[in-house]
Amino acid sequence: MNISTVLLAEDDADIQKLVRMSLCFRGVKEVVIAENGEDCLALVSKVKPDVILLDVMMPRMDGFETCRRLKANPETRSIPVIFLTAKAQQFEVKQGLEVGGLGYLIKPFDSMTLHDEILTLLNKGKSQG
Amino acid sequence: MQAVAAFPTEILDSLSSGILALDAERRIVFLNRALARRLRIEREEWMGKPVGALASLVEPHLSSPEALDQYLGPPEDPRARASRELVWQEGEQLIYLREDSAPLRDGAGRVVGRLYAYHDLSREKEIDRMKTEFIAVASHELRTPMTSIKGSIDLLLSGFAGDISAETQELLEIAQKGCERLIRLINDILDLAKIEAGQIKLKLVKTDVAEPVARSIRGVKSFADQNEVTLQLERPESLPLVEVDRDRIEQVVTNLLSNAIKFSPAKGLVRVQITAGDAWVQCSVIDQGCGIPPEELPKVFDKFQQAADSRRKGGTGLGLAIAQALVSEHKGKLWVESRVNEGSRFTFRLPAISGAASAAGSA
Repeated sequence: MNISTVLLAEDDADIQKLVRMSLCFRGVKEVVIAENGEDCLALVSKVKPDVILLDVMMPRMDGFETCRRLKANPETRSIPVIFLTAKAQQFEVKQGLEVGGLGYLIKPFDSMTLHDEILTLLNKGKSQG
Repeated sequence: MQAVAAFPTEILDSLSSGILALDAERRIVFLNRALARRLRIEREEWMGKPVGALASLVEPHLSSPEALDQYLGPPEDPRARASRELVWQEGEQLIYLREDSAPLRDGAGRVVGRLYAYHDLSREKEIDRMKTEFIAVASHELRTPMTSIKGSIDLLLSGFAGDISAETQELLEIAQKGCERLIRLINDILDLAKIEAGQIKLKLVKTDVAEPVARSIRGVKSFADQNEVTLQLERPESLPLVEVDRDRIEQVVTNLLSNAIKFSPAKGLVRVQITAGDAWVQCSVIDQGCGIPPEELPKVFDKFQQAADSRRKGGTGLGLAIAQALVSEHKGKLWVESRVNEGSRFTFRLPAISGAASAAGSA
């Protein structure tokens, strides 16, 4: 499976750059940036990403609410959502999976293996249907 | 009832905690001012009445009618001391109370009733909430910049931005190591704060303790190889099962093994010895290292207590404190025996589940 387009919802400019560099280095064609959850919802239909990476703590709309809305919308429900966040407590991971996240990656992530981790989650999600 | 008549009313009335004394038939024989205020009653009118008569006063403050029995029902064992948390609703506000109760005895030691004390835990709950908030904020605020630093260094070292000189590579590797150590430290501090705040939920499963121990040994094997240390597991044929969170016990053993490896001489041996008694299972990590001087022994489980050598080898100074806190969470005990120049033995003991055993090879 190849990842061509990623939609990243992340408000930290440095992490936006890092994720983009790290994924493009491994062959991802495009990483589109959304500054917050609202932006992400506005962009998703236009971008049609293979996967959405969601930070949790973002202004205007947090990642959990964004994921909830993505999963409630029949047009976006099938797009895999992976959380990429510094919210690392057990109950936060649980919440992320409960609102429909396919996986939960905790910062600091390893920029050399980020692509592989996303791919593993996507393959796992595919095999589980 | 004489035992109750002897209560120093003035003293008990000056307490902010509620006090209630019942006789053997569960009739009210004493109730202090704080409790009367919480129930909004004139206590004199209630003396001698059965405690069940308070139901209509207590019920509006309960989250569910079933909770009424919790408040006014008899204890499971009238001769035992008991302690539990109760929730009392005051309008929109939830008040957490700790109820301590104990049998009331007469001069001859006979149980003649029961004494209850109700402590308001609101302040403790507020501090717990603040701790939780601090952990969440600290976790997020520290992890985010660490992500940028570590990610940038990793990418530079991977050659993403082009070739780098040997000197640049060396400097970046120093920064990378420092970064990884800082991440370990952040994780350890947050882990310990969570355990101390009672926020770790153990996923208790019936387990042969050799199973998480073996996983831990596999996990540290490459670290042992780097240090030319051999690891050896010794276990009896059959072991009583324990009820533990496997990941957390693996974390305990990993912390003990990492220390043992760090302090072992090259070509040294670290033994992991599992033994059991009727009611317990214990696991010892035994090294042939430099040992700990007797004056240092009482401090080894304190936070940030580490030998200079350990700091140089990337230790955070929290591994043993975390191990001890986790073993305590499992109602177990962790201790150390050591002789200078001979080595150290760290042992933790866990309560066994009676009648349940597993055989070697099943782990």
